[in-house]
Amino acid sequence: MSIDLSIVLSGEFGQWLLRGFLLSIELTLVTLVLAFPLATFVALLRLSPWKPLQGLGFAYVEGIRNIPLLAHLMFWYFGATQLLPEGTRTWLYEHDAESICAVVALTLYTAAFMAEDIRSGIRSIPTAQFEAARALGFGYLRSMRLVVLPQAVRITVPPLISQTLSLWKNTSIATVIGTAELMYQAQRVETATFRGAETFAVTTVAYLAVSGVITLLGVLYQRRYPVRAA
Amino acid sequence: MRILLALLLLVSLSAQADQLDTIKKKGDLVCGVLGTDEPNSFVDPKTRTIIGYEVDLCKAIAKKIGVKLTIKQLAVAARIPELQQGRVDILAAALTHTKEREAVIDFSLTTFVTGQRVMVRKDGGITQLAQLAGKKVVTVRGGTQEPNIRRAVPTVDVVTFETAPQALVALQQRKAVAFVNDEVSLLDAYGKLGPAQKDFVLLDQSLSTEALALGLRKNEPALKKAVDDTLRELESSGEAERLFLYWYGPQTRLKYDKRHFRIESDKLPT
Repeated sequence: MSIDLSIVLSGEFGQWLLRGFLLSIELTLVTLVLAFPLATFVALLRLSPWKPLQGLGFAYVEGIRNIPLLAHLMFWYFGATQLLPEGTRTWLYEHDAESICAVVALTLYTAAFMAEDIRSGIRSIPTAQFEAARALGFGYLRSMRLVVLPQAVRITVPPLISQTLSLWKNTSIATVIGTAELMYQAQRVETATFRGAETFAVTTVAYLAVSGVITLLGVLYQRRYPVRAA
Repeated sequence: MRILLALLLLVSLSAQADQLDTIKKKGDLVCGVLGTDEPNSFVDPKTRTIIGYEVDLCKAIAKKIGVKLTIKQLAVAARIPELQQGRVDILAAALTHTKEREAVIDFSLTTFVTGQRVMVRKDGGITQLAQLAGKKVVTVRGGTQEPNIRRAVPTVDVVTFETAPQALVALQQRKAVAFVNDEVSLLDAYGKLGPAQKDFVLLDQSLSTEALALGLRKNEPALKKAVDDTLRELESSGEAERLFLYWYGPQTRLKYDKRHFRIESDKLPT
């Protein structure tokens, strides 16, 4: 059987793959927008001077990070949805429950990793900076927002871009809960055409291309905004 | 470059070797089954091994060739790729004989005839296939279920899972209004529901008639003959009938009172 990419790229099959590709991108973007603020919040919890809040942040990060993403997806789709009140559940099932549950699982998972990167970034700013801000009369939050975070961002963005890269690849696991992303559509095309090599060659190139763009963004950012010596 | 050529040569040579000889040489027949599809192939809770109708067919074939049998569990969508890449010798995995698949693999004599049907919740108010238009149905990924339900109801919204039990859970949790699968698997799932049976019903209409057969790699006439001869012997000795009744008969959850097919042809039913 010779390799013929046109079979999987043209007509209906090409449409399926394109739809899967777009949903994968959408999952990545929506998750990113939700995970970043959550991660920042968790990082601040862990850095908070108050022990119970630190403990909460620690429990979140370690609890989420140490369980495989596959288990997260299964839990949010098959498990957690059953605990919802009936009205909410019915609403969810009438909408795209597969994608919504995937976003929930991916957001919580990605945020745990991002929180650690953000925390490391903040910790890398010498305490003297924070103390100086406090000495000038800024409160905890304002010292963070105006003095520490702007410096920490430059250090934090590169690892966050690397987490985005993981997130982009992790969307493929959502296929197990029936989310019609790129991997799901690829399996559909393979089943319909028996052209596994072609289908997964196209899919691989699609993943690689977007990964390449994300990596490039990381490199560009580091060139434009190098870390400043404190 | 020379290494690459050598590798290519190796690949093409090993593809050309007669598969039956290879099986005899290594003393082992690898049979690919689903393992999640009672009573075709499923894990026996007592012995933790995979047993079933299709497993027994594999056993008979291994015995006939005179080698030991290795059972390998496969996902529905992985069946044909695993066969093509030579990781299994035979597929005995609820594989429907279709014209499209004939282009890439060969089929043994038909070993089972079933239809595909639809299970719904009683309170969903669905009694006809046509009422599934625009509704969400669930099924297993990589089989003929998805194309068949889309053919029957073009506007249906299909969500697929790796295994049939996952799709059944999705129906039970009201994530979809219907679950499409082979009749046998549906009857078995229905039987397992226990007291919850009263909430579910199978629609009378069949989506299709499916001739299940064993899958073989293309152009392996010696292996195909060994497989088909074994199946013919099972049929003529009455063993095929006995196996059917053992796994599907009145004593089982499926309660078929008789067999509506014979193992005799490797042609697509017309």
